[in-house]
Amino acid sequence: MLFNTVDFAIFLPVVFLLYWFVFKANIKIQNIFLIVVSYFFYACWDWRFLGLIAVSSLVDFLVGKELAKTSLAKQRKLLLGLSLITNLGILGFFKYFNFFIENFNQVFTLFGKSLESSTLQILLPVGISFYTFQTLSYTIDIYRGKIKPTNNVLAFFAFVSFFPQLVAGPIERASNLLPQFLKARIFNYDKSVLGLKLIITGLFKKMVIADNCARVVDEIFKYYPEQSGSTLFFGAFFFAFQIYGDFSGYSDIAIGSAKLFGFDLMKNFNMPYLSRNLGEFWRRWHISLSTWFRDYVYIPLGGNSGSKFKVVRNICIVFLVSGLWHGANWTFVVWGFIHALCFLPLILNERNTKFKDIADGGKLFPSLKTILQIGTTFLVVVLLWVFFRAETLYDALNYLGGIFDKSLFSIPNVSRGLILFLFVYLIVEWLQRDKDHILEISFIKSKPIRLMVYYAVVFVVFYFAGETQAFIYFQF
Amino acid sequence: MNKFLKHIGLLIIPIFLVWLTVELFYRKVPNNYTFKNQLIKSKSETVEVLIFGDSHTFYGLNPEYFSNSTLNMANVSQTIYFDKLLFEKHVSKLTNLKCVVLPIEYTTFSQADNIQEDYWRKYFYASQMGLTVPYIKWYDPKQYSLALTQKFGKTGSYVKTFLNNKTLIGCDKKGWGNTYVSTVDSLELERLSKIISRKHDDGSMDFSKNRERIDVLIQACKEYNIQVVLVNMPVSQPYLSLLNQEEVTAISKISKVFSQTYEHVTHVNLLYDKRFSRKDFHDADHLNVNGAKKCSAIINSVIENL
Repeated sequence: MLFNTVDFAIFLPVVFLLYWFVFKANIKIQNIFLIVVSYFFYACWDWRFLGLIAVSSLVDFLVGKELAKTSLAKQRKLLLGLSLITNLGILGFFKYFNFFIENFNQVFTLFGKSLESSTLQILLPVGISFYTFQTLSYTIDIYRGKIKPTNNVLAFFAFVSFFPQLVAGPIERASNLLPQFLKARIFNYDKSVLGLKLIITGLFKKMVIADNCARVVDEIFKYYPEQSGSTLFFGAFFFAFQIYGDFSGYSDIAIGSAKLFGFDLMKNFNMPYLSRNLGEFWRRWHISLSTWFRDYVYIPLGGNSGSKFKVVRNICIVFLVSGLWHGANWTFVVWGFIHALCFLPLILNERNTKFKDIADGGKLFPSLKTILQIGTTFLVVVLLWVFFRAETLYDALNYLGGIFDKSLFSIPNVSRGLILFLFVYLIVEWLQRDKDHILEISFIKSKPIRLMVYYAVVFVVFYFAGETQAFIYFQF
Repeated sequence: MNKFLKHIGLLIIPIFLVWLTVELFYRKVPNNYTFKNQLIKSKSETVEVLIFGDSHTFYGLNPEYFSNSTLNMANVSQTIYFDKLLFEKHVSKLTNLKCVVLPIEYTTFSQADNIQEDYWRKYFYASQMGLTVPYIKWYDPKQYSLALTQKFGKTGSYVKTFLNNKTLIGCDKKGWGNTYVSTVDSLELERLSKIISRKHDDGSMDFSKNRERIDVLIQACKEYNIQVVLVNMPVSQPYLSLLNQEEVTAISKISKVFSQTYEHVTHVNLLYDKRFSRKDFHDADHLNVNGAKKCSAIINSVIENL
């Protein structure tokens, strides 16, 4: 069940009404109800993989409880190992088994030996990368003594399977989301209204921006050898907006839907294309994953402390793993690695955290310096998206080679209207950069005008929506 | 909560009204689906030749040039899946039916079920032509509301067409699509050929499912003593040259095998027919009025000689 379908448009209000009117009696009943509807939501894709979520939830719930009972280092390590093996084992098997077997075979072939290891026909369970990371954070945090385990199995199962964020995040931390399942939910008007605004914003990003870009991107990437450099550049440009609209749109709908049930999920995107360097970009793009890798991979590896060599190593590992997390393909690994190479000068010169403020705060127009910084960062990000979108490394390199051709300065064979629309969208983001989301228009004092703006956005969503496409991040 | 629900209600009322208007529009304004459904019902006892298929036959075979009483039941993007469902629904009532014309297109065999092209059309076949479409599930909300099957932008263009033409029916009284009149120039033809050939190239050589459907349809025709004419409709040469030639050859071969296997099946391959020139095409793969006249005369003479 996709968020941008009629099915979800029926599912959400029905669940909302049942949740607040029928199952409001106590938390236990509400949590049972949320588990049931979340499992139903997931089963709409493939009921066969429900067992994986249940196993992952059960193992981590039990490991969490056992971790609290023992203070013996060896036993605690064993328990953590069990959680890691279960979650990473599920993830590794379903997502990476064929990738590693194929590469293993190729390595042996290079050395003149043919290995007959065969791959398997394995379906990738939707959202597996998201919920396994979420449950892992629970056991790791208990192991580190950061949080206490819960004894409430229903709350824990609801925390893992909560439908708004089950299939594509945000990857929540137990410390933030789990306590919300343990306390009574009281309907909050403002929170629900904010939720609705986020849902509308998300639908706009997904159905208008991402789905309209998708059609053009598919065509350009499919037939890239025949395209001019300028068309290829705009193919990458459109993909940048496709993936942004797709994923941040999904996140907005997820966060908005959660608010309707009284839950606060973490922000996952914060206008990343307005970033002034890659450090800022990674603080604004897929925040829940970036911070996950920071807290559970980068810092345990030593983080910024230690020799420069160690810092370089840690950065490279984090970006490589992050690349691989996105998919079992070398294109993602290279994408991560090049991002690491671009990120290293920033961290070695301690400039990665330079831009924490709002760009040109309080000013209507950006300064020339800001335009150059944003433009350069955006250009790097756009070019690197080619690795992310291409099907093979060969295609990615040829695509990039095609961009840097003298035809780069020819007139691109793409819709001028779409380019203009995306620039206008970026300008709107710029104007709203100090707000929580682009539809935060409380500064408009007239209620009828605000209502007209909401209607206008809803109209645009309905009228200009592209052909319905699945969310890109579901495949991860 | 009450305040929230009240505000939601106020927000939804205009959307609901728009939905209701669109639903009424789709239910009340006749279109190709409702028209052809009426047509086949009203002519069930007199029709002798029935033409199925997609836009190629919809625009390319004009019943006017057939000597027998002929109906064109083809429709834009109508796959063999729906041809078969339509045939099975009506065949027992078509008491005078002598011949079925079934086009074998580049996509006929390889086309998967429930593809994007069928995405909204299947609901119209179900709702407006009374077909039981197996891949529409009972819990699919779109089968209960045609307004939900289309993007609003698309509905907008239908409304515009309706306001301009006062109708959404794009065919004449015998079901022939009569809106393709013009001929494109060579440059445009080359460009369109490239686009359309890519669109039609689904990369699949798995013909089993659709081949079986045609086989079932042919056998059913035998039971009812109905002749079958399998036609490879003419297309422009630039378009044809861009298709996967291996697939084109395989399609022609299979059509030929059908005609060799069953006595009541005749195969007509017009793909390389020299009688068709560039002037006969509206675009890369559709005949215009003159092309349709020429093609109809050829098929008619084949039927007359059966």
